[in-house]
Amino acid sequence: MLKKIKHAFPGGVHPTDGYDKALTMNLPVRVYWPETVTILSEQSFGGKCSFLVKPGDQVTEGQEIGRPEAFMAAPLHASVSGKVVDIREVQNQGRNILACIMKREGPEKEENYSYQKGLESLEKYTREELIAMIRDGGLTGMGGAGFPTHKKYETDKKISELLINAAECEPFLTCDYRLMLEQSFAVINGVRVLLKASGADKAYICMEDNKPEAAKLLQKILEEGKDQMQGEKPVEIKILPTQYPQGGERQLIQAVLNKEVPMGGLPADAGVIVSNIGTAKAAADMTFAGIPLTRRIVTVTGSVKNPGNYLVPIGTSARELLNLAGGVTVEKNRIIAGGPMTGPCVASDWNGEEELFYVTKNTSGILVLPDREYEESPCIRCAGCESVCPAGLVPYQIEFAYMNEDYDLCEELYASECIACGCCSYICPAKRELSVRTRMARDIVKQRMRERAVKKS
Amino acid sequence: MSNVRVINGPHLRTERTTRQIMMYVTLSLIPALFGAVYFFGIRALYLAGLSVTICVLTEYLWQKLTKKQVTAGDFSAVVTGLLIVYNMPVTVPVWALAAADIFAIIFVKQMFGGIGNNFVNPALMGRLLIMLVWPQAVMQYVVPNTINPDAVSGATVLGTVKGGAEAGYSYLQMFLGEIPGAMGETSKLLLLVGFGFLCYKGIVNAEAAVTYISTVVLLTFVFGPSGLFTGDILLNLLGGGLIMGGCYMLTDYAFASRKGKLLYAATAGVITAAIRIFSNYPEGICFGILTANCVAGLLSMIYKKHVYGVKRKDA
Repeated sequence: MLKKIKHAFPGGVHPTDGYDKALTMNLPVRVYWPETVTILSEQSFGGKCSFLVKPGDQVTEGQEIGRPEAFMAAPLHASVSGKVVDIREVQNQGRNILACIMKREGPEKEENYSYQKGLESLEKYTREELIAMIRDGGLTGMGGAGFPTHKKYETDKKISELLINAAECEPFLTCDYRLMLEQSFAVINGVRVLLKASGADKAYICMEDNKPEAAKLLQKILEEGKDQMQGEKPVEIKILPTQYPQGGERQLIQAVLNKEVPMGGLPADAGVIVSNIGTAKAAADMTFAGIPLTRRIVTVTGSVKNPGNYLVPIGTSARELLNLAGGVTVEKNRIIAGGPMTGPCVASDWNGEEELFYVTKNTSGILVLPDREYEESPCIRCAGCESVCPAGLVPYQIEFAYMNEDYDLCEELYASECIACGCCSYICPAKRELSVRTRMARDIVKQRMRERAVKKS
Repeated sequence: MSNVRVINGPHLRTERTTRQIMMYVTLSLIPALFGAVYFFGIRALYLAGLSVTICVLTEYLWQKLTKKQVTAGDFSAVVTGLLIVYNMPVTVPVWALAAADIFAIIFVKQMFGGIGNNFVNPALMGRLLIMLVWPQAVMQYVVPNTINPDAVSGATVLGTVKGGAEAGYSYLQMFLGEIPGAMGETSKLLLLVGFGFLCYKGIVNAEAAVTYISTVVLLTFVFGPSGLFTGDILLNLLGGGLIMGGCYMLTDYAFASRKGKLLYAATAGVITAAIRIFSNYPEGICFGILTANCVAGLLSMIYKKHVYGVKRKDA
């Protein structure tokens, strides 16, 4: 029934033994409504919106309050019903960003829809209508960089496969897993929406083999709903080995479809669209209930008293969520926005008082880890980094070239192809900051490539 | 007051450190040290202790004097010290051993930038120095204590055979280490125990060692002393320092690809075999590995690793 893929992508690491996910994976999602929310005008890097409301305005949950101003942006909606208190700049992850602060006055909508309990018919919607609903609902990628979803689906390239990314390969995070267990019908309905919107011939729901419960549940729905989905393109579940970064979109494409995204290209260039499982569920909300993306599940975990998953409105304060989880349990700590491998550390030695950041559409977790300092020692050329690099790079050589400011060499070593997964730094016995430097080398090389392209034209 | 700074990930790091790796390598060399003491007497232990002390001290002083990051405590100098002593007969004069140690640490390792930056194996270079400058100091091999407690001198098995005589020892004796030879390399059994431990700990990959050893054995068999396919497989495998070289001296170097690593191992094997077949040196391991060390850069250009998304040539 559920076959496991053996050939995965080359390289990769196993950062933990599973204790991390066990902290939260069996705890049901708790709903939390904060008194105030702080909705950032920039939900993801470069996705700037302008606000349509002003202080004093009354807003209802789901009302459009921000219009996209940049390519990377999607519409913004009020995540609570209440009053706009202020529009001002706030500190978020080291930057000042304009934000809309709202006071919640309630009441909250009761969530009770048929698409959460059974399969819906998609016949009455065309592909264009579905994409329009996704766009108007402000859907962005909920797992990674927060790219506006409709931009992916509007591609004029021929898409043959849709990959639904439920790998959740980052240690500690369990929000996608809980979503699949608790909203399984909505998830499957959402996958079908995205499949139709993509125009692909087939959709694969891809997850790692550490989530057998979710795989079984979704498989059951797919099997029992065969008749209802007659005439639709097929959806299949793919089980992948648990291996970080299985959920990197390029690695996922390689593992499931055995093809690669060409250098400098997007998945669409390989005929593939990759969307997160949370994105699929949100697409179902928009299509069948007209609910825009205003809430999401956030995993609050690590060194906190009561780890858990919380369903919260966009704009909820991370400080509030951490205190809700009982506060941090280590004094020398790191607060990380997202997972431990790719998430940025937003504060260290945090004492529970200061504001940290506000939940955005792509905030998957808030993680607290004990702060550990590592001393770098010389590279011993064990080639560990080379053997774990999923992109096929040789990080220690790129690092060496970068430190010698030899950017030509960095380019020759394909520094531009770094996916910033962090495997090289993880594995390095000399504790070198390989990932940080390779990423910097990548940015410089990419900048130089752009400059050359401009000069040529 | 919490400290607002943005640190990039990953925030999880493996527990393994350079020091831990080198400590495991040191541990894996301990069985062979017991063997050396058993077969050649307590002097082997004194020499090993002395060699390790000189290596670590030299590294520490050099790093202090040149104001570099002090890494003398990372056990890599311990490994070098042990390997140098293992490659010498128990009769080696203390001054020759000390010269090899200091030369290896300062001129081969530190002057090229320290750990990871030396392009040839320091222990082998240390041995080579003594071999070329004071050959008589490292050519006095003795018969193991277990055969004759009076430390009578005797030629190595490979040397004896090269001279046209019978080996005079059984294959089992060669495997267990009851033959004249360098202190640490005679017992194949104890070396393999240590190497097995390293493989189990995931510190070394046996592929390169197997490639190197089988290349030498195959070539010396094919081009045997009395015509094609007449070489003595077990003699070449067990008689000298081949297993020591393949397991501990060869896998010193990193490569950009798995295939490249194998090519490198095979190159070292071909040179070693050529020396055993055509030259007056019975072993050839030292030259084989050191030459391969030197051409490693060239070899790595032949095999390029596939980078994700870059068009494959055969596609």
